[in-house]
Order: sequence, then C-alpha cells, then structure tokens
Amino acid sequence: MGTLSSSRRLSTGILALVLVGAAVLTLLDLRLASSQTITLVAKRSENAIPLDDPSADVWDKGAPIQVPLSGQNVVAPKGGDQGTVTARALHHDGKLYIRLEWNDESEDASTGRQNDFTDAAAVQFPVEHGESVPAFCMGNPEAPVNIWQWKASWQTGTGASVLDVQDVYPNVDVDLYPFEDEAEFYPASASGNIVARADRTSAADNLLAGSFGTLRAAEDQMVNGMGSWDDGKWRVVFSRDLEVAGEYAQFSEGDSTNVAFAVWDGARAERDGIKSVSQFMTLEISPEIATGGGGGLSGEAVGLFVVVGLVVIVGLAAAGSYLLYTRRQTA
Amino acid sequence: MAKVHNWQLGREMEYRFPEVHPNRQFVAVFNTNRCIACQTCTFACKSTWTFSRGQEYMWWNNVETKPYGGYPHHWDIKLLQMLNDANPGGQTWDTSSQSDDAPYGEFKGMTIFEAAKKEGKDNAIGYIPTDEEWTSPNLYEDTAKGKPGVPGEYHPEGAQLPEHNTWFFYLQRICNHCTYPGCVSACPRSAIYKRPEDGIVLIDQERCRGYRKCVEQCPYKKSMYRPNQQVSEKCIGCYPRVEGTDPLTNGIPMEPRCVATCVGKIRLQGLVDIEDGHWAEAPTNPLYFLVRKEQVALPLYPQFGTEPNVYYIPPRWVPRQYLRQLFGPGVDAAIERYTNPSRELQAVLQLFRATQKIIFRYEIEEGEEILDTEINGRRVQLFNDTIIGFDGSGNEAARISVEEPFHIRNGDFAGQFQNSI
Ligand code: SF4
Ligand code: SF4
Repeated sequence: MGTLSSSRRLSTGILALVLVGAAVLTLLDLRLASSQTITLVAKRSENAIPLDDPSADVWDKGAPIQVPLSGQNVVAPKGGDQGTVTARALHHDGKLYIRLEWNDESEDASTGRQNDFTDAAAVQFPVEHGESVPAFCMGNPEAPVNIWQWKASWQTGTGASVLDVQDVYPNVDVDLYPFEDEAEFYPASASGNIVARADRTSAADNLLAGSFGTLRAAEDQMVNGMGSWDDGKWRVVFSRDLEVAGEYAQFSEGDSTNVAFAVWDGARAERDGIKSVSQFMTLEISPEIATGGGGGLSGEAVGLFVVVGLVVIVGLAAAGSYLLYTRRQTA
Repeated sequence: MAKVHNWQLGREMEYRFPEVHPNRQFVAVFNTNRCIACQTCTFACKSTWTFSRGQEYMWWNNVETKPYGGYPHHWDIKLLQMLNDANPGGQTWDTSSQSDDAPYGEFKGMTIFEAAKKEGKDNAIGYIPTDEEWTSPNLYEDTAKGKPGVPGEYHPEGAQLPEHNTWFFYLQRICNHCTYPGCVSACPRSAIYKRPEDGIVLIDQERCRGYRKCVEQCPYKKSMYRPNQQVSEKCIGCYPRVEGTDPLTNGIPMEPRCVATCVGKIRLQGLVDIEDGHWAEAPTNPLYFLVRKEQVALPLYPQFGTEPNVYYIPPRWVPRQYLRQLFGPGVDAAIERYTNPSRELQAVLQLFRATQKIIFRYEIEEGEEILDTEINGRRVQLFNDTIIGFDGSGNEAARISVEEPFHIRNGDFAGQFQNSI
C-alpha cells in the first residue's frame, strides 16, 4: 500500500510539472507578441526569388521551421485535418517572400464541379504589430488581420481562362449563350466579388478580417502567389513589397511582427472555417544574408522547450524505473 | 440555437437565429391537379435568369414526375432517409392537437435543424448533390407507379378514385422563400438574407465566397453553385417583378415569370401581411384564403422545418400515404375540400392566371345557380359567381366568372387562317 501511494505521489508531481511547463508555453504562444515561441526569420537573399518556381534552389537558403497545425474548432463550420506545415521566409529587393510546404496526397485545383473544392493556403499578419497579437482565428474588431490567401483553383483560373463547363466536360453541347458578353449576367463578378474575378493576375488575394465571418477583399490587390504540387507535396510562395501604402501589414528590416498559417485540403471538402490552422508566431525581417542556417526557435523558447523536455525525460525515466522497481518487489 | 415558432409544425423548433419576420411574405399556391408538365414555367425561368455560362445545369424552376422523378435525383428520398437515420421511426405527427394556429397538428419528429445536433452537424443536416445528380432534370418523366413489388406492370384497375393503383403526378418546384431558410442558417458569412419587404431570400453576390454550405443545407436543393463564378446562386423570386419595377405594369407588383406563364393555370402568387410573426388575417387575400382559411393548399415536406412558402393543392388520385409524407397530415382534408369545393373556393380557383398582376384582395359578386346534380352520391351545386381581383394599387386587375365565357369562332374565318390544332 505504502509503495503504491508514494509512487502515485511522485507521478502526480511529475505530471504537474509537465503541465505547468506546457501551460507556460501555451500562454506565451497565445498572447504576447514579443515572446511567440517559434520565430520565422526572413533573411536577405542575395539571389532573386522566382515566383513561378516554388521549388527553386534559392529556398535552401531560408531556414525552415516546422509549424504544427490543428483543426479550427472555435466556430462553425469547424474542422480541418491536423498536420504540419514547413515555412521559410526570405526577402530580396524590397519584397518579402514566404514559402509554405505541406503534404497533400492529391492536387485539388479545380472548382469546376459541384463537389470540387480547392486546396488552399493562407498567411495571416496583424494589421498593426502591437503589444499583443489578435485572435489567431480571423483577428478581432479592434485588432484586424491582413490575410494573403492562395487557392489552387485561382491558379487554374488565372487570366481569362475561367473554368467553364466546357473545360470540365469537353463533350458538352450548348446551343447558345444569349448576351454572352454582357456583364450583368455574371452578377458576382459584375458586383466586384473578388472570388469571381475574371481578370485575375495572381492566385493570391489580399484580404482583411476583424473576426469570424468578416473576411473581405482589400481595396488594393498587391500580393503574388504561386503554388506547385509535386509527388504529394504542395509548395506555395507568397510575395509582397515589404512596405506598401494602405492599412495593411508592414514589414521592415530589423523589425518583427507576427504570422500565422492555414491550410485547406480540397479533397476533404475543406473550405471556410474547415481548415487546419497554426497559432501566431514571430516573423523577423533580418538584415543578415541568408545562408541556410539560423531562424527557428527564439532563445527563450528554446530555453523553455529544453526545460520542459528535460522535465518530461527525467519524469518518464523516474516513473519507469519506479514501476520496474515496484514490479520486482511484488514478483 | 434559438427557439422559433413554426406554425406548420404546430410547435417551437430550434433554429440558428432568433425569430425575425418580414412585413410581407412571398407566397405561392400550385394546384398539382391541373399541371400538364409542359415545362413552360421551367423555360420561362431559364430564359429569364439562367441562360448564361456556368448556369447550364441550373433550373431554378423544375417540374418533376413523382414518385420517381427528382431534380437533383432523389433529393427528397435522400433527405427523408437522413432524417430517419437521425430519428428512426420517430418522424410522426400528433394530429389530435389541430387548431387554427396549428392546422396540421404537432410534428413530433426532428427537423433538419434538430437532427443536426444529434448527427454532430453545425446548423442543419444535408448534402451537396453531385454533377451526375443534377443531370437529366426530367428523368422518370411520366413514369407511373404500378403494382407494388411488380416492376413494369400496370395495375389492371389502375385508374379508380379515390386512389389510383397506377399513378404519377407532377410536382412543380421553385425556391420556397422559407420562413426559416436552411440556406440562411448555413451561411458562415451571413451572405444570404431574407428581405423585410417581401420575405424573398437572396444570396448577396458580392459577399458569397462559394463555400456551398447553402447548397448542402437547403433541403429542397434550390441553392445552386455556379462554377465559373465560384459562388452560389438561387431563385430570386423574380423580385423586380414582385417589386413592380418591371416596365410592363408601371409600378404595379407582378407575379414571377414561372407563375405568369403557366399554361395549365395551376399557379397563383401573392404577398401576405405578417403581424407579430403570424399571417395577418386577410380572408379575401386569395393566398390567405387558400392556405389558412380553406386549407386546401399545403406546404411541401413541412417536416423539414424551414416553413416553406409554396403551397400545393395535392393531387386527388394519388395514394394518401404517399401524399401525407410529402404534404403532411393536412392531405385528406385538403383533397376533400378540393373535390367538393365550397362556393367561394369555386370562384377563387378562377383567379389562377386571370392576370399577371399580383392580386392582393378579391370581391365576389353572386350569380345564378348553373348546376345542381349528384356526383358520387353527393349533391354538387355550381353558381356562376363573378370574382374580381384587385392589384397593389387597389384597382381592378381581373374579373372572371365561374362559368367562363364560351366563344364560337365566326365561320368567316374558315379557310383564312390555318387551324393549328
Ligand atoms: S407551366 Fe404550369 S402547367 Fe406547364 S409545367 Fe409549369 S406548372 Fe405545369
Ligand atoms: S427553398 Fe432552399 S434556397 Fe429557398 S429559401 Fe428555402 S432553404 Fe433557402
């Protein structure tokens, strides 16, 4: 009896320590802008970064961070398949580039059929980088967010080639489209809805939001985006000038802001709130030249991870040997 | 979820939003007994609203042959199955509690909204039909139900009233401009709204982002995705006509195209006033008369819970069990009243397609008796009353008698015009 209760006390103590460590991490991760646990560092690239090749060698110079995602479960529609996204960032010639990379078994780039949903990804920044970060899901009314969203389907539909029924079903036969060129018969695009734009030049949109359900197209479309899918992996590059006019996220060398990511899997009919999301992290625009190293975790986060990791390892070891010890005693 | 009152269910039910009502509600009555499935309504709609690229498969108005037809295929059977899976054997009515406020009694089962919680869905259960299901919109046209369990064989006594043993009928369908729309409750962006002036339900084409939650959660499948715009579209109730902004009538509210063009004279549309969340008593509004006073027209699948606003006079030859599943427990009484129409109903039925202006009120001038006979053991009397319909400005828009005027073509025309039929 005595042996059992003291072993229970020990494991409860270890568990408590682990939980406190995790809670500290979660707290830091969630709210304080200056102490986000993971930092994505955008160093200066000496080489130009091609937008049309998200797999270009230049990206080897950007230090990768692995960002865990979880299903959005705050408001309906909820969902999202959890996973990890690998993020890299660079800047070159006054432009910020962010590349996201994640596993996705199928390339879903069409919304031409009723049940087709597109793969998509987004990066999100606070419009104003301040003391605290906005809610990681779509921001707050007083702390809006600037979202760059890329959709594989927009890449398919870039330019004049909007997906028509003939693109999906080449043998379809239609007698006549009366008033084919009159704008009012395409009411979404005629009313300026950005998802229905026929004159799209980029597969990424510049959007603003101040809480759920408030996502809207920004007046200025200035974000470039391009993705390519290969062998079960999407690589998507976003880019924009570091500094721009307007109420949007701003970046400057030597400064930091926050960034969060979201990924949608079209094959699972993910759209809107049905997505995998990350918490906010720190994004640092560094004047250093990108060489492939650096970045990743901030000093204090590394410290915390090490402490928590040690606690877990020591705790597990202690609990294990204790169990072995008590087993032997009873045997 | 909020609690709202659904008079068609005779009870409160759960809905995403609290109860809000328009000042007036778009209401239509379709008399299934008269439809000849000419699809003029379908093409009137198509040639007005959905003739463009991306809308090829869209029929905001469709006429399907029941029991087998459906656009999209089997839409209603699928929904009924989903509801039954959520609430096995529990989709029943208590008809003992019928009253003026609950004319069909009380629905004891689960609506699409109530089943959502059970099934772990957000606001309502539903599904997105596939491309294949949207094809062949008139599949099973004129395909009759024969002997149960014997495919391909007609019943030897197929056509005997009150229930034909070999039967089909035409079901005309548009958006129901529901009081508690499944589409509105589905939209995460609140891009769908119900207009306060007429209860017409519209998708804001500027806000929609093509998530298709409305396509999923409209139980009648009347919200449709347009791929080349990457947004959803739906029946707009011909709102410019209902508003009276169509130049044809100089500001007078007009019925939608599918209603105005109806060859079989089966359709009537109008607006009923809503007061304190209820239909304001208006016994001489033809829609109010048919639905609430005479109760000869019934909602389609009231058990879905959206409080649809298109009402059907059920086909009088179809097995009642099937009809009760479609139109609820009011079926027997409605058929009884339709087959033995009151003097007022005889007159009101004449208003169908007498004008394309919306009739807000009618008056009846009594006429002489023109028939007094016995049919199926019942005394049947006909009176040649004249009904006068008044438009939105209170002016006379239609005048028609029960015995319609009979014209004999002047023999002089013989040989001058080719007789087309
Ligand atoms: S126009 Fe009238 S009669 Fe013809 S199919 Fe439509 S509802 Fe039926
Ligand atoms: S029928 Fe469907 S689309 Fe029309 S209002 Fe009702 S739920 Fe919405």
